[in-house]
Amino acid sequence: MLSRGPAKKVTIYVNEDTRHHMDSLWSALLHFLRSRSVAGATVLRPVAGFGAHQALHSMDQEERMEHMPIRIEFIDSAERVHEILPSLYDMVEDGVIEVQDTRIVKAAVKGRKPPARTPHREISAPAKLIRIYLGEADKHGGEPLYDAIVKRLLMMEVAGATVYRGMFGYGAKRHKHREGFLISRDCPIMISVIEQPSRLDEILDAVAPMMQDGLIVISDVESHRFVHALPPDTTEEDSDTNASPTAR
Amino acid sequence: MLPRQPAKLLRLHFSEHDRFNGAPLYEAVADACRRLGIAGITVFRAVEGYGESAGMHTRRLLGHDQPMVATIVDTAENVGRLMPELAQMLDTGMIAISDVEMIRIEAHGPESGT
Repeated sequence: MLSRGPAKKVTIYVNEDTRHHMDSLWSALLHFLRSRSVAGATVLRPVAGFGAHQALHSMDQEERMEHMPIRIEFIDSAERVHEILPSLYDMVEDGVIEVQDTRIVKAAVKGRKPPARTPHREISAPAKLIRIYLGEADKHGGEPLYDAIVKRLLMMEVAGATVYRGMFGYGAKRHKHREGFLISRDCPIMISVIEQPSRLDEILDAVAPMMQDGLIVISDVESHRFVHALPPDTTEEDSDTNASPTAR
Repeated sequence: MLPRQPAKLLRLHFSEHDRFNGAPLYEAVADACRRLGIAGITVFRAVEGYGESAGMHTRRLLGHDQPMVATIVDTAENVGRLMPELAQMLDTGMIAISDVEMIRIEAHGPESGT
């Protein structure tokens, strides 16, 4: 996001047909600027021009059409420009790069909030750790049960689930699970889920009916979530566990 | 509402090469669990780690000695019977115990219809 005040304007002149690896150079430059979260960039196709090769390119000349000049412009802070300029210098093997001082008078974004580039935040809260033990060969509607459970949890917007495959064990079925060859193995599987306590019953009611046998173990943990740039309004809702447990 | 009962969760940390009476430690532990009628055991092989018994355990092409974790869940009473046996079997390693609630789902149990 641009802010009012001094800034740098960078203009790059290249030819339309100059290549950069598999892509055209102007497109590669544009993608690069986007990947580095530059505030905005514009690609312009002029009507006519000539460059270092002294050949005149214009829309009138069929044979020179594909060799048309292309101009890429962007504006960002001096720091950001300083940061990415070496990469641009490296990419532009045939063309001109120009930097000029400029001043931003107004930079307004209507409607949409710009994505915040904040450092991660830590949210600490008491939580429940749910461990679900089942067998790798267990099925639910034709698909592996552990897959079905994880998909269900995902749909319920449960914060996260991790599936572990054990190499050995026994449990509700009283037969040994063990690592076999590539096909038809039946190892023990454990799915771990960490969520806020208010969602525990909802998760158990969803998962337990899917299982024919197995074990669910619940314990109290303290969770420390590291989250990036949540929009302020959803963060409020997230930490307010009692207000609307199912509204997430 | 599913019936929950208080239980203990044991996590045994040891290494893949650990043995007891010539058998891999995890098999010996599983046999002891069966003998004592413990509900179940699950053994996981970890990717990397370090601990009591050695420096860095990591996966190598030859002679790898990876860290292992066995989890056992049962009532406090059953776990109490198992602990002396485990203490005898584990040469070096660690056992962590935590309080949990467990829900048993059995094929023909009373809650299978829910």
